[in-house]
Amino acid sequence: MHPFDHQAPDTLAAAVKALAEDEDAQALAGGMSLVPVLRHRLAAPSVLVDLSRIPDLSFIRDHGDRLEIGAMTKHATVAASPEVRRRIPALAGLAGDIGDPLVRNRGTIGGSLANNDPAACYPSALLGLGGTVRTDRREIAADDFILGTFETALAPGELIVAVSFPVPEMAVHLKEKNFASRFSVVGLFLSRTGGRVRIGVTGAGPHAFRPTAFEDALSADFTPGALGGLAVPAGELNEDQHASAAYRSHLISVLAAMAVERCLAGGDGPRDGRA
Amino acid sequence: MFVGKPLRRREDVKFVSGRGRFVDDLLPPRTAHVAFVRSPHAHARIVDIDVEQARQADGVLRVLTAEDWDAAGHGSLVCVHPMPFSDGRPMNEVLRPAFATKKVCHVGDIVAAVIAETKHDAVHAGELVEIDYEVLAANVETGRALDEDCPIVHEVFDGNLVNDVIHGDREATSAAFAEAAHVTSLTLVSNRLAAMPLEPRAYLAEHDAERDETTLWATAQMPHMLRQWICRYALHLPEHKLRVIAPDVGGGFGVKGNFTPEIPTIVWMARELGRPMKWTCSRSEALQSDSQGRDHVTHARMAFDADGHILGLEVETLAALGAYLSNFAPSIPGNSYPQTLTGLYRTRAAYARVRGVYTNTVPIDAYRGSGRPEATLVNERLLENGAREMGIDVVEMRRRNLLSREDFPYKTPIGRTYDSGDPPAMLEKLLAMADYDELRREQARLRAEGRLMGIGLAVFLDKSGTGPSKALARKGGLHGGYETACARVNSDGGVTLFMGTHSHGQGHDITYAAIAADRLGLDIDAIEVVEGDTGRIAHGNGTWGSRSVSVGGAALHRACGEVLAKAHRIAAHLLEVAVEDLRYEPPLFTVPGSNRSVSFAEVADVAYHGARLPADHSIEPGLESTIFHDPDDSNDPSAMHLAVVEVDPRTGRVAVRRYVTVDDCGTVINPMIVEGQVHGGLAQGLGQALMENVVYDPASGQLLSGTFMDYAMPRAGDMPRLDMDFHASPTPSNALGAKGGSETGTIGPPAAITNAIVDALWHLGVRDLRMPLTPARVWGAIAEARDAEPEHA
Amino acid sequence: MPSVPSKTIHLSVNGRPVEAEVECRMPLAELLRDRLRLTGTHIGCDTSQCGACTVHVDGVAVRSCTLFAVQADGSEVRTIEGVGTAGEPHPLQAAFQEHHALQCGFCTPGMIMTALELLRTVPSPTPETVRHYLEGNLCRCTGYYNIVKAVLAAAAETQGTGRPADEGSGHASL
Repeated sequence: MHPFDHQAPDTLAAAVKALAEDEDAQALAGGMSLVPVLRHRLAAPSVLVDLSRIPDLSFIRDHGDRLEIGAMTKHATVAASPEVRRRIPALAGLAGDIGDPLVRNRGTIGGSLANNDPAACYPSALLGLGGTVRTDRREIAADDFILGTFETALAPGELIVAVSFPVPEMAVHLKEKNFASRFSVVGLFLSRTGGRVRIGVTGAGPHAFRPTAFEDALSADFTPGALGGLAVPAGELNEDQHASAAYRSHLISVLAAMAVERCLAGGDGPRDGRA
Repeated sequence: MFVGKPLRRREDVKFVSGRGRFVDDLLPPRTAHVAFVRSPHAHARIVDIDVEQARQADGVLRVLTAEDWDAAGHGSLVCVHPMPFSDGRPMNEVLRPAFATKKVCHVGDIVAAVIAETKHDAVHAGELVEIDYEVLAANVETGRALDEDCPIVHEVFDGNLVNDVIHGDREATSAAFAEAAHVTSLTLVSNRLAAMPLEPRAYLAEHDAERDETTLWATAQMPHMLRQWICRYALHLPEHKLRVIAPDVGGGFGVKGNFTPEIPTIVWMARELGRPMKWTCSRSEALQSDSQGRDHVTHARMAFDADGHILGLEVETLAALGAYLSNFAPSIPGNSYPQTLTGLYRTRAAYARVRGVYTNTVPIDAYRGSGRPEATLVNERLLENGAREMGIDVVEMRRRNLLSREDFPYKTPIGRTYDSGDPPAMLEKLLAMADYDELRREQARLRAEGRLMGIGLAVFLDKSGTGPSKALARKGGLHGGYETACARVNSDGGVTLFMGTHSHGQGHDITYAAIAADRLGLDIDAIEVVEGDTGRIAHGNGTWGSRSVSVGGAALHRACGEVLAKAHRIAAHLLEVAVEDLRYEPPLFTVPGSNRSVSFAEVADVAYHGARLPADHSIEPGLESTIFHDPDDSNDPSAMHLAVVEVDPRTGRVAVRRYVTVDDCGTVINPMIVEGQVHGGLAQGLGQALMENVVYDPASGQLLSGTFMDYAMPRAGDMPRLDMDFHASPTPSNALGAKGGSETGTIGPPAAITNAIVDALWHLGVRDLRMPLTPARVWGAIAEARDAEPEHA
Repeated sequence: MPSVPSKTIHLSVNGRPVEAEVECRMPLAELLRDRLRLTGTHIGCDTSQCGACTVHVDGVAVRSCTLFAVQADGSEVRTIEGVGTAGEPHPLQAAFQEHHALQCGFCTPGMIMTALELLRTVPSPTPETVRHYLEGNLCRCTGYYNIVKAVLAAAAETQGTGRPADEGSGHASL
C-alpha cells in the first residue's frame, strides 16, 4: 500500500474541512471497496478521513412517510432494524443480502452510494424507491445522484449525511448474484405507491438505472403480463465473463415479472439469516 | 484395533486455538522481503529493462533479472514427468524460467525481483523497475492453439504442439464404429481451474554460513522432491546442504507440489545476502502464478450396438499445458487422462489421441483429480447422451456395460489393468440410497407442472498411488514412485514414525498412528508421527495422487513388521526361548505355559542399552526399521455419483438438490477422515461444474479472473444435501488393501451435474452444455435450443 | 522519500492493553500477526472475500485485513487466541474437533470467529441459517458439511437443545 495519513474527526464539520483542505484526501466509510483498492495500490490518497467516529451519522429514523438512514449506518444494522423491516422490508432484505455477514458488519449505506459501484445493491433501492441523498450541503434526488460508472453528483469533498426513502405501499428486491463477488449480475428493486411503479436496476449496465418503459407499463397495469415483450436492449448492457448482455437483458425482464408476482402475493419480507 | 475407527485428529487442538504454525507465521529477526515484478501482458517481447531507479529506492538490497540469474551460473526449473511423442520423438520442451529473458509468455511471468528491508519497500521498488515491452498477439484459446494463424508461444518450434500421444488401437476402434448401430458425438470442454488452497504459497529461507547449510520453510506437499529440484537443477548445490521444512500447510491440492519460479530465487538470495529471505504470495499473484488445472478441448465419439453395449470410444483431445512445461504437466493429459477414459465399462475398443499445446497462460499442472475428471466427463457424457438418443434409461445403459467383480483384474483397451472393484454392487447401492425409481417418478410429476428436475450419474475409475519407480522411468520420469517409512522405537517403548509423505489437511498423523499401533500392538498414544522435514526424514516422494496411505502406509506396515520381528528376536533371547515359542500379547512377550514375560518397552530398553543382547552380535543394538516401499503398480479406486438438480427455466439458475456417492477406496483406515476427503473433493468438483473458471480475454490474453472477486468457489450455502457411503473392494496391491481416497470428489461432479442438467433440459432440445454451468450459460443453452428447434419451445 | 505517516494507538487485544506505534496504512491483521505475533489470524486473500482474517472488534466480527489498525484505536479486539483455553476449549472449538470440521486448519480461526458471532445473535440456528451466515468464510478442504454440523452441535451444546439437520447423512454407514 502507498503511505497515507489517517484522521478520524468527531464532527461532520471537521471531516468536511479536512477533505476541503487537501484535494488528495479521501473519505473512508466502511472501507469494503476502498481498502481492497488501496491494498492493490490502485489509489494513493494523502490522507484517509475516517468517518466512523462521527456519532451523528449512524441512525435510522421513521418520519412517517419516509425512512431516513444515516450515512454510516451499517448494512447489518439496516437488515436487522425493526423500523426498516416493518416499513420497507424489501430494503431490509436488500441490506441483508449484500456481500456476506462480514461485509454487512462494516459496509455502510453512505459508502456504498458514494462509491456507486455499477453492481452494488443500494443504488437500485435509491432509484427504485425514489430516495433522496442528503449531503453536508444539499439534498440530491435519486435521479440526479447517479451520473455514471462510479460517478455521482457528489462534488469533491462533499459527504453524504443521510439517505431518505419514501415508504412505498409495496416493494420487492431481487438479485441474481455473481458467485465470486456476491455483487449483482442483475439486481432489481421495484416499488409501488399510489399506482405508480418505480424500478431500479443494478449490475446490468454501466451504472444503476431505471427502465422507464417497464415502470410506465406496470403503472398502467400492475400484472406480469403488462411487461410482455418489453426488454432493455442488450446493446446498452454489460457483457463480461460472468454473463452475456442478452442474459442481463432477459434477467431484467424476468426479475421485473417476478417482482410483480411477489408484490401481488404480498410483497417482500426480510430475508436475513437472523430472521 | 484402531484401523477402521473414526479416531479424532490430534493436530486439531492447535488449529482451533490459532496455534498452527504456517510458513507466513514465521518472521525471524533481520528478515528481508522479496517482491516479484510480473508481466502485465500475455505475450510480449522484452525490449529493455531498466532497474536503476529501483536499485536506488529506499530499503532496497538487490534487484534481480534474468541477467543476474545467468551470471550466477544457475540452471533451470525442471519437468520431471516428460511425455514424448508416441513415435519416439522427445516432446517440445520449454521449461518455466526463474526470470523471463527475451519474452514474457503469460500474465504473471516473472521479469525481475526486488529484495528489500520491508514488504512495502520491495513492492514499491518493484513498481520502479521500468520494462519496455513490445506487445505480441496472444494465444489463449486451447481449441485454436494448433490453427495455422495462431500466434506461436515459442518460436523455437514451428507451432504450439508439445507432443502427440496415441493410446489404444485405431484399427480396432474404426472397425467397432463401422459395425455400430448408433454413434454419439460430443465436443467436451473441461474448464480451466485454479486450485486455490486457502493458504497462499509462502517461502522463508535462512542460511547458516558456518555450516554452509540453508533451511527453507516451504508450503510444500513434497519437501524432498523440492529439495532435489532446487539443488540439482536450479542452484547446483549438494542436496544435503539444503534442508526443506514443510510445517503446517494450508491445503495443497497439487499446486503446492510444484517447483515454482519464485523458490530458487529466495534460496539463492538467503545464501547470498546472509539474511532470512521471505516471500508470501498474495491472492491475486496466486491467480497468475500458481499452476492451474484441466483446460481440455475434446472431440469424442462413442459407438453402441443395437442393445446399447459400448463397442468403441474415440477421443481427440487438445490439452493446454500453458506457456511453459511445469513439473508433472505433460504426463497428466498424456498419461493419466487416457488411462481411465473407458471408466468402468467393458468398452470393446478405444482410441485416444492427445496433443499437448502451448498457450499464453499460466502453466498447467496437477490439480486434485488430474486427468480423471477430464476423462470421466468424456466417457460419462457420451454414455448418457447415447442412452437418451437410443431411448434407453441411463441406469439400464450402465447395467449393460459395467464391469462385473469377476472381470478384475481387467485390462482396458487403452492398456491399463485395473486391480479390483465391484461396480454392479456399487451401482445398486447408489440407486438404493438415492431411491432412483422414486426420483424418476418425482421428475415426471414435476415435469407435468412445468418444473425442470434432472438426474445425472457419473460412474468412474480413479487411479492412485502412482508407481512403481521403473514404470515412471519408462517415460523419462525423473523421480521414484516409492515411499519411505521409518518406524523408530524410542527407548521408552513409544514409537516415532518418520514418513516421506506430507499432510496438509489429510490427517496423516492419526491415520499412520492407527496403522502402526495395530501392527505393533501398542496404544495409539504411544505413536507419534513426523513428516515434512528433510532434516529428519532422509528421503521421500511426498503427497500427491492419493498415494500417502496406499504407498506410504504400505511402507509403514512393512517397517512396523520388521520392528516387530526384531522385537520378537530380542524378547526370545531375553526369555531364552525360540521365537516360535513366544507369544506377543501386547504389550507383553510371553512364554505360554510359564509366568515369564518381557514387555515391549523392556525390549526397547535392552535394544538401546545393548549390553544384554547376544554376545555373538547376532542381534545388533537399536530397534528401528526404514523401508523404501516401491509398489508393484498404481491402485484403482472407483466411485459412483448421482446428482439431482432443478433448473429454473426463467433465470437459468441450477439448484443441486441432492448428491449421492458411493466410494470404493479399498480398506478405510479412518472413515471420518476419508469422508472429509470426499466432502472436500465434492466441493471442488461442484465448483468446476457450476462456477469455477479461469478466464483469459481471447483478444488481449488478459487474465479476467484475477482476484476472488472474479474467480468463484463454492461457499457454505452452495453445497447440496449429501448422502454418501463406502463399498470396499480391497486392493491386492498392498498389505493394507487401501486405495487412494482423496480425489473422487473432484472427478464425478463435472459429469454427473452436467448430465443432470442435460436430463432436465433434454426435452427442450438441449444436448450439450459447457461448464461452468452458471445461470447465464444454462439460460443461454435453453434459449439457443429454442431458437434452433422451434418445435421444442 | 517522505516519512510514512504513523500514529500511536491504544487498544485491548484479548483483554490485554496494547500500545503500538503503527503506520496508518497497516491493516489490523498485520498488527496482530507481525507485531503482536498472534498468528492465528490468517490472510487468505486481498479483496476481502475469504474471511480467514476474521476477528471481533468491539464484539463485532470483521475482516482484519480490511480494517486499518488505526481504526481499531480504543477498541477491544478479540482473536482466536482469546477464545477458550487448552484445558477448557469453547464449545465451538470442541465441536470443530469432534466433528472433523477442519482439515488444513487455515480457515478454521476465521470460521470460528464468525460462528461465535452467529451463535451470539442466533443461539439456535437452522442449518440454512448457519450456511448463510458462513458465506463470508471460504473453506477449500471440507465442503463445509462438517463445519455446519459442528456449529449446530455447538449451538445444541450451549442451548441444551439440538436441531435435527435434514441435509442428508453426509456420512458413510460404517
